[in-house]
Order: sequence, then structure tokens, then C-alpha cells
Amino acid sequence: MANGKNPAPKRFTSDEITYLRPVSSCSGCGDTKVSWSLMEGIRRFNRELELKGRDRYELIYAADRGCGNLQGYHAYRIVDAIFCMGAGAIVGDGIKESCSEKQIVVTASGDGAYNFNISGIKFAAKNKRFGAINIIYNNYNIRMTGGQTPLEIDFDREGAAMSFDVIHINPFRINDNAEIFKELYYRYLKRDKIMVVADGVCAIDNGKDARVEGLIIGHFKRSDDCLDIKFAKERERVAREDPDKLKNLPRFKCRLCGIGLRCHALLNNDPSICSGCGACSQFPCPVDALSFEGLSFSISTNITELKDLGKRHG
Amino acid sequence: MTKGKVFNLGRMRLSGSQSVARGAIEAGVRVTSGYPGAPISDLQGSFDQLAGNIPRNNPFTVLVGKALDEAVYQLVSHWGTTSNEDNAMALALGAVIGKGDYKKREFLTEEEWDLVYGETVFADDKEKRIPAGSRVMCSFKHLGGNTAADVIRVAVNAVPYTGGLSIASGDDRQGTSSQTMQDNKILFSFHFRIPTLELYSPRTAHSTVKNCYCLFEELGVPFALIMNYDLSYREVSVDPIMELDITANQRRKGFTRDPKHLVTIGPHIRPKEKKYHSELIPLFKLKIKEYFEFLGNRVTTYGAEPKAMLIVNGPFREDFEIVNHDPDLKGRLESKFGDVLVMETDIVFPQPDSLYDELISKHPIREILVFEEGYGRVIYLQLLDIVNRMGLDVKVFDCGIPFEPRIYERFSYIDYIMDV
Repeated sequence: MANGKNPAPKRFTSDEITYLRPVSSCSGCGDTKVSWSLMEGIRRFNRELELKGRDRYELIYAADRGCGNLQGYHAYRIVDAIFCMGAGAIVGDGIKESCSEKQIVVTASGDGAYNFNISGIKFAAKNKRFGAINIIYNNYNIRMTGGQTPLEIDFDREGAAMSFDVIHINPFRINDNAEIFKELYYRYLKRDKIMVVADGVCAIDNGKDARVEGLIIGHFKRSDDCLDIKFAKERERVAREDPDKLKNLPRFKCRLCGIGLRCHALLNNDPSICSGCGACSQFPCPVDALSFEGLSFSISTNITELKDLGKRHG
Repeated sequence: MTKGKVFNLGRMRLSGSQSVARGAIEAGVRVTSGYPGAPISDLQGSFDQLAGNIPRNNPFTVLVGKALDEAVYQLVSHWGTTSNEDNAMALALGAVIGKGDYKKREFLTEEEWDLVYGETVFADDKEKRIPAGSRVMCSFKHLGGNTAADVIRVAVNAVPYTGGLSIASGDDRQGTSSQTMQDNKILFSFHFRIPTLELYSPRTAHSTVKNCYCLFEELGVPFALIMNYDLSYREVSVDPIMELDITANQRRKGFTRDPKHLVTIGPHIRPKEKKYHSELIPLFKLKIKEYFEFLGNRVTTYGAEPKAMLIVNGPFREDFEIVNHDPDLKGRLESKFGDVLVMETDIVFPQPDSLYDELISKHPIREILVFEEGYGRVIYLQLLDIVNRMGLDVKVFDCGIPFEPRIYERFSYIDYIMDV
């Protein structure tokens, strides 16, 4: 709703209001989860090599246009270069020619732009001077322009034909993926060519498919150890006993998970808007207070597989 | 100017394409990409030989290659491996945006530097140095301009990170080996709005290219070099002394993050587009006027009170050079036009309006005749705009040819000028 700080321009009718707020991702957006893993991966990579300050390796992220890459920019500011459709991979190849040896270039595109990007991806595969990590955000449709179905792609066969080592990841297993990316950075420096396919990145699409199959997806759960829950109780007590002091208290104590994962459901502590991605179950909560109740897409983004698992476990 | 490493290559005949390649090498270009096609295949082909991707098989690549090996020159060439012009251009764009080093200011004042670099991550540099990285060249034939249009247009939004990038376009305006007889000057001048030059002779092309790199790199803008079919292939003797800008070639590599310039989304590009058209293009005009002769152009006055001004560009310019060596032609020129002022120029866009204002107020010029090749009439249209906008009391005439007369049908540009 428009309020005093953010008034809706009067000349617009009610259905034309645009809100003056930054672009943000859906709760459970798999694209942002991959971005988190990429960043965490490079952090762990540097830590493992005991590199500090200017000696650290730096991640350069050249992206194509599309849902995942723009979310990567808006959510984590991880994206360094976005130019035009179909240029993500090849711009990354150009950056490799001019960047320092301490900079690791990762390129990315969606599954729709993959078909446009393919010559750049193939160029990266055949260029023996550099390694390549090419991420495909695979949500099985072209989400940003209306959800068209792209050409059918068999990443395993196409990637292998271009001499890529194809790795499929579940975008919501953030901790596992951070470890995978950490290893991939080593392989990049050995000039290996890796294609990472993040299957089923769109939690909204996954949710729709699950509903069609009659699956009930669970939601996150916080234990009483959660610093925010404890603090909420403290706020209640202050409100009851000394309401004047309430205004001096911050609203939250931690919010690390919500901010870290850019998740509205966690930020608002509202399971009803949780899309069931399950990324929070792998989030390194400092007091280990996060868990997930029921089925989540971090178990599998393949709905048939998820259904079988659901039946097996009742 | 930075002193470079000097080599004497001995007597050498170069085609236009080879001369442009030599100019790029002299400027210290480190990364080249392109897609072959007549008439420009020879340009990127030369780079491929110089980079050692394929054997050096002609005197130019053998001699220059030897010099490059001696100078430990860094050169990467991607010729057909980038599968089309769009990819070649995107690779060039990726290579040029990495700015890991600095160079001293040579052409910009402090205020001009603030205008160009004031909103980048380099804005805090106290010495106001120029962020520098690899110099890059991308080449394709005129049809490639259509294929690569997407990337070239978006490269304008990455200004000033695209300083040090040149785009060479070989125009087949005679339709010898293409499906169109396109004039790419329109594309680069009116659509992309980047500084555009039409080269006129292999004899001077290399020095013009080198000087363009020096100026436009500081201005942070890519520039386009146009060659017609005849120029690309015609061989002439060139200066045997080659001076390599080895400092530019061996700059420190690195990528500096600046999403406001390199992530091209609406909120980022809107203010930049506005600034580019309203503030940077006037600056380019000013610098082109200031360094008019440095960029290989000149203004000559024949007679004391010139009433006409001839603007000769591209192939017209090359033929016009004979006038200074041929008294008969000089006589024909004087009897045709009387006292005349001749601007021999490579510059296609942007035309330095203040220079025209200065010349017209200094001399009693009443008419301007524009000799250019190609159906775009790019210089003529800009001149019309300048005359209207500045309220100058002169008439502008379009005397160009909309296509390139076929080279084997013997066409004399100088006779065309004299008979117009």
C-alpha cells in the first residue's frame, strides 16, 4: 500500500501504481540461493587456502539477461556485468582475457538464453587458455518474458558434446552447493570446463507443480533457541512492564537467515508465505534454531521423485 | 606522447586492412576478435598470423611478427572461433571493460576528466589518471554491423569503460561479394553515435588508427573505422619505421567492479544515456576540433578569399591529394571554384561544429560542398544541422556518391570533383 513515505502518484489509477521499492526476489527463489552458494563457496575457498586481503581470489560474475541473473544482482550485488541477451558467456570469455590471475570468472544464463548463448559457451569450452564455470538456471521455461517453453535441452548430452563436465545441483541445498563451488574453483584454476545446471530454480513453478500432484509442501520452523524469538518475548515483556522503553529497543536481534537468504517468509517469521524451498534447513544458523517441517524442494526439485518420497515416508 | 619501441621494417607495401592491423599493433592492442568476410578478412587474418595461431605467410606478418617476438608483445587473436560478429564484438567488449591499470592524462583537462570519469569507481583518484586495460580491436565486414548491433549499442552504455576499443568495418559499397551495398557510416554515426572515421589511404591509416586509440581511450568511448572495398585491398608503400606502444600492450591486467556502469539495467542506463548525448558528444566534438590535425585531418586554403568550402572524405580525399602535386589539376580547381577552402577529413561523426563556425566567420564562405561516399550522406546531414542550428549564412550541397563505383571500371574521384 502507498503510505506517506511512498505515495502513489495521483495521476495514476489504482491498478497502475508502481511502488518505489527495490526489485526483490520471491521467497524461496532458487536463483538467489545459487548466488549465495557461489559467494559462500569463494569465501570457503579463500579460507581453505588461508588467503587474506589482496591475496584472496575474487569472483567475477558475467551474466546473461534473465530472471536468475538480475535477481543475483538485486539480491546480493554479485553480478559484475550484464549486457545483452545471448552475450553472457562470451563477455565472460572476453573478461578472462583482461582480468588478473586472481580473478575467477563465472558465467551464467537461464535455460532459455542458453540456446542463444550456446556459441559463447562452446567458445569457452574450446578455449584452452582458461577454465570455465558456466551456470545454467534451469526452470524449464522462459520466466522473465511470460513463461514460454524453450527448445528442449538435454544438458548432459549437449554439455558432454562440448567437452563440459556437467554437474546437476539442487539450488536449494545451499551448503552442499557452496562446497561444490569451492571445489569447482580449484578445478577452474586447472582449466577444467564445468557446466553447472541448477534444476528447478523457480520455487513458484515447483509449488504449482506440487499442487497439481496433490503434494503438501512443508514450511520452515524456528525453535525457541532462535535469537529473534527470544528477543520477541523480551519485547513483549518490556511492552507490558515498561512501554516507554519499547521505542528504544530494536525490532530484531538477529535476522541473519532472512537477510542472508533474502527470504520474506523468514524475515517476517511467517510460515504462510514460505514457498517450501527448504534452503533454510542448510543455512548455518549460529544457534542451530532453523529446521524444516514436511516435504521441501531441497529434497528434490523433481516433483515425481518428491511424490514417491512423500508416499514412502507417509 | 609515450615513446615506444622503434623498428625499421624496410620497404613495405601494405593493403588498407594490413595498414589498419599495423596501426592497432603500434597502438599496443592486446586482444583482437572478428569475423571474416570480404573485404576485411585480411585484417583479422593478419592478427591471427601475428598471434601465432596460423603460420606467417606474407612479408607483412613475417617482418612485423619478428619485431613483435623481439619486443615480447602480448597478442591474443580470435578470428573464426567466435562464431559470428555478435560474439566477436561481445568478446571484445568483455576484454575492454577490464581496467587494471592507469595511464597519465594527455588529452583531457581536469574538468573534462571529471565529466568522463566522475561517476565511476575511479572518481576518487587524486591525480585524475585514466583507468586503462587491454586495447582491443574488433573487425567485420559491413553486414557484421547488423549482426553485432545489439552489443555495439549496449557498449555505449558502458562508457567510459569501453575506452580503448575500436571497431573496424569493411564496407562493400560496390556489392562485389555481399547481399547488400550497405553504408555502415549511418549505423555507427546515427544509431550508435560513436566517433566514426572513414580511412582514405593505407599510407596514413596506421598512424590515424594509432592516434585514435590515444585520444578516444582517454575519452572512454569506442570508435569505428570504416574502409571501402577498394581501400581494404589496394596496396601502397608505407612508412618503414614502426613504433610500438609497448607500455600500452603490457599494462597490468585486472577487472574493477563497477555495476553502475557494467550492469546495464534501466536505473543505471537512463542517466548515462542522457549524459552521453547531452554532455559527452559535445565533448567529443570539442576534442576532435582540438586534435583535428593529430587525427590526420587538415584544412587548406587555396587563394586569399575563399567563397566555397569543399569537404573531401574517404576516397575523394585520396584523389584530392594529387592536386598538391599536379599544377594542371590545381589550375582546374581554381578555375572551377575560384578561391576555395578545402577540408580533407577522415572524421565522419561527430563533426566539430565550432570548427565550422570558426572557419565560416573567418572567411567569406557562402557554400559548402560535401564529397563523401555512401548513401547515408552522414557528413552532409550533420552539416545541414550545424548550419541551421548555428544560423550560419551558407548553403550546403550534397555532392557525394551513394555507392562505390566498381574499381575495375576506372573511376576518377578527382574528375568527379572537378566536374560536379
